[in-house]
Amino acid sequence: TGGHTTEILRLLSCLSESYSPRHYVLADSDKMSEAKIRSFEQKRAETFSESQFTLDRIPRSREVRQSWISSVVTTLHSILYSLPLTYKRKPDLILCNGPGTCVPVCISAFLLGLLRIKRTIIVYVESICRVETLSLSGKILYYFSDYFIVQWPDLKKKYPKSVYLGRIV
Amino acid sequence: FRFKDSLAEDLQSADLVISHAGAGSCLETLEKGKPLIVVINDKLMDNHQLELARQLHRDGYVLYCNCSTLVETLQSMDLSTLKPFPPGQPEKFASFLDKVLGFQ
Repeated sequence: TGGHTTEILRLLSCLSESYSPRHYVLADSDKMSEAKIRSFEQKRAETFSESQFTLDRIPRSREVRQSWISSVVTTLHSILYSLPLTYKRKPDLILCNGPGTCVPVCISAFLLGLLRIKRTIIVYVESICRVETLSLSGKILYYFSDYFIVQWPDLKKKYPKSVYLGRIV
Repeated sequence: FRFKDSLAEDLQSADLVISHAGAGSCLETLEKGKPLIVVINDKLMDNHQLELARQLHRDGYVLYCNCSTLVETLQSMDLSTLKPFPPGQPEKFASFLDKVLGFQ
């Protein structure tokens, strides 16, 4: 969604073509991200003609400020969609930065890893908005991700297993 | 004005920007090198939005006030005290990932 998409596209901006094909997963209710993504990929195709990407949608896992209990239910519902999708794409790397949509995808990848079907490296980058506290997605994925990147030193202190590279967006 | 695709043009021609504490608004303004006053809405307070505004203020990149102190801030502000905002470095992220995945 919105700010998350802008941030993640900035993160992608310096990646080489080794990071290809790119599979984008959006919430079904997200209206604006698709245009931003297509625009990004179009520009990219001007430099890297072999550039490939796909775009899929899954049900949104959680509305802002949705209650804890109903969030578990809606997230499980999203996992019903993200699991077959993740199985189909079998990504080597998942890059995410905090929208609720990333939780079911990462959990799916984690499960596929446990079942020895596909081992995916999960890299989570907390949003630049998060200076002192982690987002809910962050708090969950701190334990499921292989690399957890924060953009402010306070968070590095509070979450010692995280990686601090300074501001990267 | 409600849902313009991009405020880039307006930002470019502005001398001063007064904005809410949304991250996108703040960062876009700072990246264009425009002086920024962030107005915190105490009633609609979304604590997580405040974190970034507060940090940007601590680091000297923005001025900071709430709705009731806006006029006072505008009257007494000294924009020369604001520091230029260095851009983020996505290339550091790319290097990190390359190293981790063995793409060097």
